[in-house]
Amino acid sequence: MAAFDYRQALEIRDAFHVHEIRYLFIGKSGAILLGFPDTTQDADLFVEKSVINGERLVAALHDLGFRLTDQEAEEVRRGKDFIQLKNGPFDLDLIFAPDGIERFENAWQRRVEVEGFTVCHIDDIIASKQATNRRKDRESLPRLLSFREWWKQNRR
Amino acid sequence: MQSLEEFEWQREFEAAARRPLEQRLRYAFIHTYKPILDDAEFRSFDTMAEYRAFCRSLPDWLGYGD
Repeated sequence: MAAFDYRQALEIRDAFHVHEIRYLFIGKSGAILLGFPDTTQDADLFVEKSVINGERLVAALHDLGFRLTDQEAEEVRRGKDFIQLKNGPFDLDLIFAPDGIERFENAWQRRVEVEGFTVCHIDDIIASKQATNRRKDRESLPRLLSFREWWKQNRR
Repeated sequence: MQSLEEFEWQREFEAAARRPLEQRLRYAFIHTYKPILDDAEFRSFDTMAEYRAFCRSLPDWLGYGD
């Protein structure tokens, strides 16, 4: 599997736009879209959990080239809390209930648009990482907190 | 008072802001094989607590544990 790239990010953006999916980039991939210079391995998407959004998400994943069995498609449609996809052209994590964020709607109201990508606000990305509290999150937090300070002062 | 490390970070943020998004993403995504994590094509968890429990079973050096 090659690394996720810009073209694939555009494919997600465009497919999710066509299918009118409510989603937000979250995690380090979200921070990178906001301008955070760092590396990550895959894209993390916070997806609104609703019947219609689930239906649309399955259709978009199919368009993007993910090979879902009927059972897997049903689990995506249902919006299980965390789904890890490695059965398509790139790795994708779907998160329907990220730690540290109470409701999708709250994060949606605070979202940031970056060239058509819908991205969680840096406060939500940090809140999620703080709540998750994995060792790799704790290691990246000081720099991410510093980025938040810079981003809020320099946001254009 | 800003530490030297924070000062360096701020310079990195400023440099990144001057790069177009396409270039930023080109340098941001890498792929390395992660044992267990990369060995299944599909995984799903009913709750985040279940996912966290799975993360704790991964090799410690991956950093997914507590």
